[in-house]
Amino acid sequence: MKQTVTKNGIGAWTERKYDVEKAAGTLAFTDDLRFGPELLHARAVRSTVAHGEILSIDFSEALKVKGVVKVVTGKDFVHRFGLYLMDRTPMAIGKVRYMGEPVALVIAESEEAAEEGMLKVTAKYRELPPIFDPVKAATDNSVLVHPELETYDHVDFITPFPGTNIGNWFRIRRGDVDKAFSEAEYIVEEAVNCPQIAHGFLEPHCCICREDPATGDLTIWSTAQSAFALRDIVSKGLKYPLSKIRVIAPPIGGGFGGKAGMTVEALCLAGAMNPDVRGRPVKLYIPREEVLLTSWVRQAYVAKIKLGIDKDGKIIAIRNTFYFDTGISAEYGANPVRSAGYSSTGCYYIPNVWTDSYAVYTNKPFGGAYRGFGLPELMGAMEVVIDIAARKVGMDPIEFRLKNILKPGLPTCTGMPMNNHALDTIVGKVVDRIRLNEKEPATRKGWVRGKGFALALKAPAMPADAASSAIVKILGDGTVEVLAATMDMGQGAYTAYSQMVSEELGIPIEKIRCPYPDTQSHPYDWQTVASRSCWSMGMAVKRAASDARQKLLALYAEYWQVEPESITIEHGIVKCRKKGKAEPIDEHIQSGFPMPDGNYKGGPVIGTGSFVPPDVIYPDAETGQSPKSVVHFTVGAVGIDVEVDPATGAVEVNKVSAGYDVGKAISPVNVKGQIEGGTVQGISAGLMEGMYYDEHGKLLTPDFTDYKIATALDVPPDLDAFWEETPEELSPYGNRGVGEHSMISPAPAMDNALFDALGIRIHSYPLGRERVYKAIQAKKKGETDLWEYPYALEQSYKNAIKEWK
Amino acid sequence: MKRDVHFILNGKPVTFSVEPRTTLLRALREYGVTSVKRGCEEGECGTCTVVIDDLAQKSCMVLALEAEGKSVLTVEGLVGPKGELHPIQQAFVDEGAIQCGFCTPGMIMSAYAFLRKTPDPTEEEIRVALAGNLCRCTGYIPIFRAVHKAAAVMRELGHIPGRAR
Ligand code: FES
Ligand code: FES
Repeated sequence: MKQTVTKNGIGAWTERKYDVEKAAGTLAFTDDLRFGPELLHARAVRSTVAHGEILSIDFSEALKVKGVVKVVTGKDFVHRFGLYLMDRTPMAIGKVRYMGEPVALVIAESEEAAEEGMLKVTAKYRELPPIFDPVKAATDNSVLVHPELETYDHVDFITPFPGTNIGNWFRIRRGDVDKAFSEAEYIVEEAVNCPQIAHGFLEPHCCICREDPATGDLTIWSTAQSAFALRDIVSKGLKYPLSKIRVIAPPIGGGFGGKAGMTVEALCLAGAMNPDVRGRPVKLYIPREEVLLTSWVRQAYVAKIKLGIDKDGKIIAIRNTFYFDTGISAEYGANPVRSAGYSSTGCYYIPNVWTDSYAVYTNKPFGGAYRGFGLPELMGAMEVVIDIAARKVGMDPIEFRLKNILKPGLPTCTGMPMNNHALDTIVGKVVDRIRLNEKEPATRKGWVRGKGFALALKAPAMPADAASSAIVKILGDGTVEVLAATMDMGQGAYTAYSQMVSEELGIPIEKIRCPYPDTQSHPYDWQTVASRSCWSMGMAVKRAASDARQKLLALYAEYWQVEPESITIEHGIVKCRKKGKAEPIDEHIQSGFPMPDGNYKGGPVIGTGSFVPPDVIYPDAETGQSPKSVVHFTVGAVGIDVEVDPATGAVEVNKVSAGYDVGKAISPVNVKGQIEGGTVQGISAGLMEGMYYDEHGKLLTPDFTDYKIATALDVPPDLDAFWEETPEELSPYGNRGVGEHSMISPAPAMDNALFDALGIRIHSYPLGRERVYKAIQAKKKGETDLWEYPYALEQSYKNAIKEWK
Repeated sequence: MKRDVHFILNGKPVTFSVEPRTTLLRALREYGVTSVKRGCEEGECGTCTVVIDDLAQKSCMVLALEAEGKSVLTVEGLVGPKGELHPIQQAFVDEGAIQCGFCTPGMIMSAYAFLRKTPDPTEEEIRVALAGNLCRCTGYIPIFRAVHKAAAVMRELGHIPGRAR
């Protein structure tokens, strides 16, 4: 018998947690916190060259500005930080490696004074030749971004190559690729490239740090996705005990990976820990221009994919070369490179695999985590190449995909068996809903119409031992507090956890609260990334809630002298029908129950739960093979119906259909929100987003005027978001990750739709109006492909491809 | 040198003492009205949107001194005396139009000014009205739903919201 009854358990459509405060404007984000007149403000002075030795930094004039308290430079704070590879210093020391790198930090009594001081600092450089092209940087070592690479600490599962610009090299070697290619009926060899893109969260980074002058304890308030990972990175970088660092993470205004790991906190600490400043809180607010100029980006990439296909249309071999442009730091960017690598046959079963996935240092801002984490990059190329291949083989692209699809049980490229999924059902629905097989006339006069399709897949990309834990406290008024250090940055984690707790405890969702993370009160969770939270933290929350339930039932059983099995909790009322008992949870739950034997028993009921994935094994460094390389894959598909104005290159999306196999939708309102939001973000990236630099490495798109993201006017009129539920075995409720997936494949589906509309293949993202116009013109000249790689002199696609052989 | 500026903030008269260069955004935040978010301070994102005398304005593009004698409404001012949400706020909650919530106050103020003038809007009109407010999380779709719903509720209640509280 189910012992709990609730209306807002697993799968219920509920109101989201914290939405009322957000609508009323009363929820305090980091920038809204107040620290009183003791608060100091910091502003970074940033390098004006992309690569150079620092000859001098003169801040004497800055110190004369009224309100300026202190200026610190890199030499004053020599610490190296990094999640996977410790290649990052908060300020340049001796040498700058990208334009915008902090070289000094001005600390002042007001934001205005800090800004004025910043403008008065002058630095002199001896310029060094910079390197911007990741392909050149990977293959030619004449300019080294990190000559000291050898000396940097890193985790075991990444492989940097000192003496080169390779920050990580991930490989898959399976079967005999050369033999398979020689036996193949068709060879398809294609390339796709994409520039860096920005997260575009609306809340800029903001951080306040304070060191207790008596104890040395550090408190960090920050716009951080992952309070505990931040604490860990700071602790390792400073060689400071974990217990002396407290991270408080107020609500954040969007993350998308851009606030994962550590971002600006070490820079703020360089101010707050300075002996002349120590004791006063220091706030570092990053203005929008600097957010775009100097924070994490999604890595640019060049992907080359070669397929060998037999006469029946079966793909028998694949050779992948991925160059990820990781900028000046691979501390986090090393891992999306790995993530793309260990998913590098996409949604297909291919027996012979050769993959090289490289993180390449260049003199640009640094690549890090971004919604999709290596998979929008991989699928952005893969799903275009598959479309090209299908046409070359003379098969319908859907039929070709289904023929090669990675069915449950078949080995992925790392050798682990694919989990259960309903991808064929999803494909069928998407094809139907956008009427992929029907050629329809354009609805706009003089325009042309096309339809495109792409598959998506992604696993949580995380260390094998990414653990979670949760505490569930039942309070004396019958409400519940859930301590789960996930950051709810809008994805709805706290709503989902409340639904889990409601399911397990039979307490209505209105009575359940999830406070925002604070490492001092919350138990450990690795990070809020990787679409892992509802799964990994979900396991911990479910365990903690059922632990609390067992404790509660045992106490009531003794109190009422009945069997625990005869007790139910229904909408917050504890009942025993046999005995005719029905009581709301009250103070006894915290103060103890006066038992029939005359003794008090109980005391506060607190449930705890911990979880670590039990069976993930890192892929072998040489072959990339592992019996279980990741916890699970979530799969899905996107179909897009577009129209193009041949006169201008303008693209309008008529309809999108996107479906994913989520295992189980814990919180449907949030699953829908993730699919809708991510699809629009994916369309935005595919159609208009790119960060561009001039020949000196100066960013040309430092604001929302030049870096365009989708506005209300860019949203397709019809977006069909749906999901299937094929349960995952090891999972709290059968659910799998879903937060990132919707961002992965809108771009390649768009590329395929444009090919359908125009008959020319565009190999470079984004598919903006100017580029589409160029493609239309090229088509008129008889070209079949358009390739625009900013660093290549050779702009003919066919020649470029040849050069690489 | 600081100067005084007097205006009506959410229905109550206030006096701020500000530098001439201080934006209304910074002045409001300094005063404690932190629903007014700074997403760019360059007039590009809309998170700082307030309603000044019936017009939705980006407060980072307005000097505090320009508010002299005007009425300034922020999203806090839409909440009723007993804590009840305004129909627009409620519709945002009901329709899943909020994710991170950083764009929400500005988005709601733009919707508020818009619905006052256009009580029965088309989808196209809503899109145009909200085009200056960026949202990176929701894909806007639930926001359109929420504005439609709020418009319907307000028409049913027979009142076009307007009275700055
Ligand atoms: S902060 Fe005013 S428009 Fe962005
Ligand atoms: S809800 Fe996050 S920006 Fe709109």
